[in-house]
Amino acid sequence: MALLTLKDATIKFGGLTAVNKVSFDIEKGDLFGLIGPNGAGKTTCFNLITGVYEPTSGDIDFLGTRICGMAPNKIAEIGICRTFQNIRLFGTLSALENVMVGAYLRHKTSLLGGFMLTPAVIKETAELRKKAMELLSVVNLTDIAHSRACDLSYGKQRRLEIARAMATDPKLILLDEPAAGMNPQEKDELRDVVFKIRDDYEKTVLLIEHDMKFVMGLCEKIVVLDHGEEIAYGDPSEIRNNPKVIEAYLGEPV
Amino acid sequence: MDLVLHSVGGLSLDFSTLPQQLVNGLVVGAIYALIALGYTMVYGVLRLINFAHGEVFMLGAYTALLSSWVMGFTPDAISKAFKADHPLTSSPLNLVIMLLVAMAVCAIIGAIIEFFAYRPMRNQSRIAALITAIGVSLFLQYAGQLFLPANPPPSISQEVNPYQKVVSFVLSPAQMNAAGDVIKPQMDITVTVGKIVMLVTVVILMLALTYLVRYTKAGRAMRAASHDFDSASLMGINVNRVVTFTFMLGSALAGAGAMMLATFEGTAMHPFFGLQPGVKAFVAAVLGGIGNIPGAVLGGLLMGLAETLVTWIGFSQYKDAVAFVILILILLVRPGGLLGSNKVEKV
Amino acid sequence: MSLSKILGTRVLSVVLAIAFCFGLDAFVTGQLNEYVVRLVMLAGLYVTLSVSLNLINGITGQFSIGHAAFYMVGAYSAGIVSNAIYKTQPLAAPAYMIISMLIGAVFAAIAGLIVGMPSLRLKGDYLAIVTLGFGEIIRIIVLNQNQWGGSYGYAIAPKYQAGWLIWLLAIICIATCRNLLKSAHGLAFLAVREDEIAAQAMGVNVTKTKVVAFIVGAAFAGAAGALFGHMESFINPDLFKMEVSFLVLTMVVLGGSGSITGSVLAGATLFILPELPRIVSFKMSLGLLLSVLVGIGVLVWMNRKFMEKYHEPDKLKRTLVVAGANIGLAVLAVVVGKLLNNIPQFGTTTYDANKIRYMILAVVLLVIMLLKPTGLLGHHEFSWDWVKRVLNRNKAGEASA
Repeated sequence: MALLTLKDATIKFGGLTAVNKVSFDIEKGDLFGLIGPNGAGKTTCFNLITGVYEPTSGDIDFLGTRICGMAPNKIAEIGICRTFQNIRLFGTLSALENVMVGAYLRHKTSLLGGFMLTPAVIKETAELRKKAMELLSVVNLTDIAHSRACDLSYGKQRRLEIARAMATDPKLILLDEPAAGMNPQEKDELRDVVFKIRDDYEKTVLLIEHDMKFVMGLCEKIVVLDHGEEIAYGDPSEIRNNPKVIEAYLGEPV
Repeated sequence: MDLVLHSVGGLSLDFSTLPQQLVNGLVVGAIYALIALGYTMVYGVLRLINFAHGEVFMLGAYTALLSSWVMGFTPDAISKAFKADHPLTSSPLNLVIMLLVAMAVCAIIGAIIEFFAYRPMRNQSRIAALITAIGVSLFLQYAGQLFLPANPPPSISQEVNPYQKVVSFVLSPAQMNAAGDVIKPQMDITVTVGKIVMLVTVVILMLALTYLVRYTKAGRAMRAASHDFDSASLMGINVNRVVTFTFMLGSALAGAGAMMLATFEGTAMHPFFGLQPGVKAFVAAVLGGIGNIPGAVLGGLLMGLAETLVTWIGFSQYKDAVAFVILILILLVRPGGLLGSNKVEKV
Repeated sequence: MSLSKILGTRVLSVVLAIAFCFGLDAFVTGQLNEYVVRLVMLAGLYVTLSVSLNLINGITGQFSIGHAAFYMVGAYSAGIVSNAIYKTQPLAAPAYMIISMLIGAVFAAIAGLIVGMPSLRLKGDYLAIVTLGFGEIIRIIVLNQNQWGGSYGYAIAPKYQAGWLIWLLAIICIATCRNLLKSAHGLAFLAVREDEIAAQAMGVNVTKTKVVAFIVGAAFAGAAGALFGHMESFINPDLFKMEVSFLVLTMVVLGGSGSITGSVLAGATLFILPELPRIVSFKMSLGLLLSVLVGIGVLVWMNRKFMEKYHEPDKLKRTLVVAGANIGLAVLAVVVGKLLNNIPQFGTTTYDANKIRYMILAVVLLVIMLLKPTGLLGHHEFSWDWVKRVLNRNKAGEASA
């Protein structure tokens, strides 16, 4: 059974159909790419999957459960977590605390215990801190664990977002333009991080990216969107030679 | 008289006074609309609730009072003239001077507040700016309490108002039965000429504002800045000047409203009396869709009507709570207001 | 830390807290005059109010400026229930205070739930206005209830000044918020403050977090209100006007929203403002007042210029220059004020403390906002580690200089 299934997912904002009947399956362990020109509806697709928007029609199933209309925090709970295109870290919290917020999702103690700081809560907080430190080391940010998130460089913020999403223990992790604004060296590091997430942590990855070289070298399956419609699906070599994709990116052939 | 009191859901409603109440509501609403325009324009450009706007209104009323005193209409002079049997008479020119002085002084006050209090907060969070606005509002209230005449609450003497004549429009005459008892009282609307003058002035001011915002360069700059500060400044618009201009414009309208309320209604003033009209006008701005100029006018009129209707159905003691109830309802049901658009935050 | 050690410190701190409260109560009521006792009690109440508002405003980021409403709900509900049941229930007044406090807390918590609902849909300044509006609506409703005395006021029995309980409440309130921030649960609240959408995407239940913040914050304010009601034994809606909300807000902002330590310090000092005229009966001449006001204006302007322009690496020298300029200006303002007093009108018109107390509040609020919008302590908390860090940093600074 597929991990995530989109079936004819559609959303309309007023008269605009931002995503129109998009369907694809993601299997467990996939490194799945979602590409398309600006305004193609990629981020909207992410917003549909993570519950920020509810699809106007169509279905989104995760592990066989329909997740349309679920609150975003419920969706995070059942195992889908994301990063944001326009970085949304908790600015005045430290990098470590940012990751701990992600890890907090799997807390077991009650909020009442939190107000009383029971021994169980102290123990759990220490555990979450340890887990967060571990994830910071995966994205090579151990040294800035106690810096404020808003003081970090752009590339570090992007990696911190990945660590934060990883901390929620997702089955599927959605990366929205993780390489945007990174220099080639940072991109190489990021590629290693993504492979590590998939291979060592056995997560499934769905990512949006504009850098074709990056996507082609990383993803095994790719869906191409244009004007909200799905125009192609396949492995990198198929996508590279698909005339529709070339047309979408370069305009009509002369 | 009992015959005309219709009982609706336990309330006694006297329909013969309804048209009069509606007109009263319109008059109050016009003043609210003038103040609401200031809130809406400032919010449109700065995304700031200018809490101190009500205090600008208060200062406008005091300015009108002081300028009437300067022109010789002090309580002393009036009683002296009355005793000497030469009552003071006023001309419309006096009112025009009072109006212009109130507008000018308020415009300057608005610009000063913006420069000293809000400009430094431009790059801070909106909450910080809001707290500053509360601070300015408190400061003006309590400074007013120290430096302005408040005890007993002064009001503009009606000698300065040449439009005191009352006109009455009979809608339906009284009906009597054979025994001569009134079975249906006369339904009429009675207003002073002053209030008609006031409504006309409000309409003129609003038309002038619409012209200014729609068809002049300054207005275009204002609208550009309200869409996007940064791009506007990149397009060569002096954003600081636009903001100052917006504050001056909004404050001048509040000053005009204050002068007219104080003159034609003869309202007694004290340093805190800007609070209630300020709050109500703010609600009016939100009701119409904050940032939206026609919305502010619509909201103001609706607020005025709502308030008088609440009094009419017999809940006058809850008059001041109505504004907040409307505010909460509108924010929960349609946060963008009646004419505004509901923007969704982009993820 | 081992379990037994945690429990040990915990038991010790609880015992110490209770001992402190009873000790303070015994000390102040035994030694000091009645009015000073009242001030100590008010300080405790305002610490509770500012810390509980900080939970809503500073920690969870829900901008509420109607805190006096919860205080009022607590005072009135506890009073109404007490008047109905106190005579028929078995407890003596001191023990009954705990019951009454809980009653106030429960009713205020319900009010907090109602006010918290709009926070699910509204943000920032809109929410602020709605909370203010709720406060006014509640006040106007009570004002029009003749059975509760309307604007005249409402007598509450028993009259009892539960000093130990007032301070115990303050300590519980501080401890609750501090505990929250020390646990991972607190991070959820902070995350909601920083970015709701991201918090929700990370699985934080934003709805629950906000509502809990409002309920807990309101409950503490309501408990404080109940104790205040019994202490005064005669309350009227004027005691809970917008000014009270603004005063508490100023405390939170002055201390640094998000900093519990800041709220405590600001609450324990600023509460004196409304009481000012009863403590000191000074008169200020018009000349001095004007000169001081203008002086403060210039001071703010000057310090802003310093902050913008004066990037002196030598920290000590900069501090000295800035401090010197500020002190000089302050002296100048007083001197000019005294000189102005020679002009008849400026010298003879005087204002007493009663008239200028809220003006001081407004000026304090404006000066903080214009000079340090994050408040005196920013997001910092008092801890021995923090003190050590600051001291070390200063030492390092001096060494490098």
